[in-house]
Amino acid sequence: MQRQMNKRRLSEDEEIKAAGLTLDFDEIAKRGVMSKEEYAIAKWYGVYGSRQSGNLMARIVIPGGVVTTPQARQIAQTAENHAQGRINITTRQSLQYHWLKVPRVPDMLRELAREQVTTYHGCGDVNRNVAACPLAENCVHARLNVRPYAREAARLLAACHDLDNLPRKFKITWSGCPAACAQPYMNCLGLIAVTVLRDGQPQTGFQAVIGGGMGWKGFVAQELFSWVPPAHAVALTRAVALLFRDQGDRFHRGKARLKFVVQRLGIARCREIVRENLHAEGVSTADFCTGPLTEVAGSIPQRPLVDSRLETADGTAVVRVRVPKGELTARHLRDLAELSDRYADQRLYTTNRQNLEFHGVAQEKRPTLVQAVQQLGFETDGIEGICDLVPCVGTTYCPKAVATTRDLTDLLDPVVRQDKFAGIREAVRINLTGCPNSCSPYRIVDIGFRGMRIREQLGSVEGWEMLIGGSQRAHGWKLGEFKTEDCPAVTEIVLDTFLELREEGETLTGCVQRLGGGPFYERVWERPLGDGAQPDGGTGTGHVGGEP
Amino acid sequence: MKFDYPKAPPLREYSVGEGEATTAADQRILAKDIPCQAACPALTNVPLYIEHLLHGDPDACNAVNLESNVFPGVLGRVCTRPCEDRCRHQWTNTRGPVRICHLKRAGADRATRVVAPPPYFPASGKRVAIVGGGPAGLAAARELKRLGHDVTLFERQPELGGMMIHGIPRFRLPREVVEQEIRLITETGIHVHLNADVQAEGLQELSDAYDAVCIAAGTMQVHQLDLPGIPPELLISGLDFMHRYNHRQITSLEGDVVVIGGGFTAVDCARSSARAARRLLGHGGKISIYYRRSEHFMAANQEEMEEIERENILIRTLATPVRGRLENGHVAAVTLRRNVLDTSSQGDKPRMITVPDSEFEVPCRHVIVAIGQHREEGLLPTGWELTTGFRTSQPHVFATGDFATGSDNVIKAVANGKAVAEEIDTFLMGTRRMETVVRVQTVHCDGYVGRVRDHDLLDPDPMQVAQLQQRAVDNHEVELGFSPRGQQTNAERCYLCHYKFEIDQDRCIHCDWCIDVAPRKCIQRVSRVFCRDDGSVEDVIEATLAADGTYIWIDSDQCIRCGKCLRVCPTEAISMQRTERLHRPR
Repeated sequence: MQRQMNKRRLSEDEEIKAAGLTLDFDEIAKRGVMSKEEYAIAKWYGVYGSRQSGNLMARIVIPGGVVTTPQARQIAQTAENHAQGRINITTRQSLQYHWLKVPRVPDMLRELAREQVTTYHGCGDVNRNVAACPLAENCVHARLNVRPYAREAARLLAACHDLDNLPRKFKITWSGCPAACAQPYMNCLGLIAVTVLRDGQPQTGFQAVIGGGMGWKGFVAQELFSWVPPAHAVALTRAVALLFRDQGDRFHRGKARLKFVVQRLGIARCREIVRENLHAEGVSTADFCTGPLTEVAGSIPQRPLVDSRLETADGTAVVRVRVPKGELTARHLRDLAELSDRYADQRLYTTNRQNLEFHGVAQEKRPTLVQAVQQLGFETDGIEGICDLVPCVGTTYCPKAVATTRDLTDLLDPVVRQDKFAGIREAVRINLTGCPNSCSPYRIVDIGFRGMRIREQLGSVEGWEMLIGGSQRAHGWKLGEFKTEDCPAVTEIVLDTFLELREEGETLTGCVQRLGGGPFYERVWERPLGDGAQPDGGTGTGHVGGEP
Repeated sequence: MKFDYPKAPPLREYSVGEGEATTAADQRILAKDIPCQAACPALTNVPLYIEHLLHGDPDACNAVNLESNVFPGVLGRVCTRPCEDRCRHQWTNTRGPVRICHLKRAGADRATRVVAPPPYFPASGKRVAIVGGGPAGLAAARELKRLGHDVTLFERQPELGGMMIHGIPRFRLPREVVEQEIRLITETGIHVHLNADVQAEGLQELSDAYDAVCIAAGTMQVHQLDLPGIPPELLISGLDFMHRYNHRQITSLEGDVVVIGGGFTAVDCARSSARAARRLLGHGGKISIYYRRSEHFMAANQEEMEEIERENILIRTLATPVRGRLENGHVAAVTLRRNVLDTSSQGDKPRMITVPDSEFEVPCRHVIVAIGQHREEGLLPTGWELTTGFRTSQPHVFATGDFATGSDNVIKAVANGKAVAEEIDTFLMGTRRMETVVRVQTVHCDGYVGRVRDHDLLDPDPMQVAQLQQRAVDNHEVELGFSPRGQQTNAERCYLCHYKFEIDQDRCIHCDWCIDVAPRKCIQRVSRVFCRDDGSVEDVIEATLAADGTYIWIDSDQCIRCGKCLRVCPTEAISMQRTERLHRPR
């Protein structure tokens, strides 16, 4: 196809998008195959390619990370009907099917729709699943219950058809307190509930940060407003999405994301544009604050979601299901839904560490539920800790992946379970991502692995770039590149070193931030840092402060 | 160390990643990467000047050409275009090469600010005499002047330009174009003596009076054809015909014309005859070219062949004249004999085998013989002779252009003129003062050079040509130059081979994303790479499995400079370099 010359500052994807964003999956099903253009637009329906040719992936959006039990059952049933009975939990609280075939897509969509579940806008250049704190309603530290905000924002933006064609994807997350468990600093737009002193009065609202992101280049979000009144927080999501729609690079898809817009225009200019967007829609920004404000709602422990620090506001119990590699069978999901109906609040909550949670469990039912979950083969502790390894799907399904995250997860599991690490079980998080897209955000955890191949004399082997000491606001420090077979040994050296150098209550990231990567580097490489040392980060942004 | 894994060495062709590459190997790599430049005898940086045009800067485009090939306006019309034969579109695309030559002309035609290239060195005080004011002599004069020497040019004719003025017909090369570009040279302060017919004794005097002498007298002696039945004086020499035609001494012809020969002169004579006879439109007598080999071996290119056909000139090949016939003291006919080519024979041009009993007679009134020229041997004083490398038996006397090499084309004459200037400079100054390096510069523009895949698929606008009615009057130029749109669409096809995309193997993680977005097989996963001595890649073995892939490798020969790979690379392993041959004072 010979395209018009005057469009050469537009990427091919933009030309395809310009031709229309709707597909008839029944027609495609009848045909049995998708064209390149249809394949590109199928993403708007949450349908994406798979590594195994002939198969597709479909991503179900779970706004705010909560599904009702009827929805969970429907998702399980549909998985059995069309996706080999497998469901994956993602790091943005969505659910995915793999092994879907083209002719099954329309039936899958119809079946899910029975329970108001959709894959629409699961992928594509749109506002993606809106994430939120897993414990939003019930966290003892929450300044606000952010779940309704997350769900309202999802509803609003899905209904805004002027936001159907963004330059690339757009991600929002809502965090209930400055502990930032919902990862606001690595999203396009992060909203963090804060209680601050305004005019001498404590007032609860949202701090808004924009331009964070993982992907091939990590960015830490910058503060757009230090305080936004709750009433305008949802309107703000649209204003930021409009900023992105109008300013994002539509030629260079690799630099389209909002983080590059913020880098290019500067946060001050972005703030001006957002204000203009709000004013244009009749929202006054008179109450919006910029500049530092003091949080007054009390201190928050580091990593409040680890087992020993998890506290609910209403005294009910939370039972958590550690889902290895985020992979569930339909049978499991159905059983868990059943348990929620019986013991919890008839809902299942997805988390950004690819786990599931039951909320609102009466304390006396807790042991029964825990036992029932364990009988299904899941562990209920170790969440948010060293054993809670978070791999992306890797080369198991993903067409983009370079490395087999599942295999490395299996190799690391016995290492991190060793008794000697019992004392640091809650002090280390490990993420593994199969490619630079960082679906499992490897820069913001204590130990992060990013898949690659390492050149040999002839051929290449799978390997990993390994970062240590990362947090949302200070991305990890590059320790080196290691072959898969060496990663368990290197991990063990790092953990041993941490055990030795650790101060009371310190996380591995805290330790690296205190001492730098040098001591760890020296143990692993058996030579001082600086002697042929790896450059700092490479993929990170360097250290700029403490956790989160 | 345990985790320091042994790896295959990284692949990088140039000896430097950034800066100036100075080895001979670097020059070979540049020649491999930019085949059009390597094919140009004057080493014109073709992609650079096309890029200037692409960006709407004909002045810069013309300046690049002026520097390299001295006569952009002339060569943009009459160059033999060795570059186009090597254009990478020839190997990879179905629409033929980029119209490099026409684009050169577009730059020259549209340039508004034309300035002579600056001098390399201050005045040396050395005096050089150049005999012959054709393309070689003029190119040598310009370069010697830039090198700081005092140059005096001796021309036998009343005007400079040599074959550009006397040999090539005006409808192919308007006189003003030549004159303008000559003026640019002479205005730099070259002493010109016109009507100065330097013969052997004159040459002896010049060699005594000047520090160095350069003979660029061309090939003015025509090859004679022995045609029994027609006395030599009734045969018209092609060179003589063109000279007379260009000086308006032939304004009309009557009767059929037969041109013998297959070179540029033969074609020019035929086309000029057609004009002189006003036979462009096809009535009246016939103009025919008879050539002993096949069309494939004729000098004219495809486009010119088409124009010949349009102008109703017959081309008959595989025929050798054997005798002629007179009637009433006028030429009445030529008899020719058919040949076939001996395809088994070696060399550039195949041997011919005569077909027995194949003679045929062609009635005609005029026979123009254009079967080549050679130099006037009598020009050299007794005892002088040409040796190799532009030298003669006299240490301070040099020879260049057709005089040294035998009859050839304008671009080679220019290249030789420039080369001899540096030889003379080295002789005069006792040291080689110019050097060539390859400048390698990383360009940070997200791989965007203005090209997209669609540009390869364009059907570019052809050059406009004059209508036959127009051609018949007053030597109207046939090729009218590109329209602005034609210029743009043709320039956009250029692969801009001076940009080089390369993968830093130490940053590459083999994600294959570049391979996925590549428009064609320009990026490959390879297990083995075979390099030449200069480090350039000669061949590769493609790997199917990830485990077999040692390198992800960009094949510069296939690269269309769309930059997609660079933009998709998640580790910023792919870089884009601009490479440029710099010829400059040491």
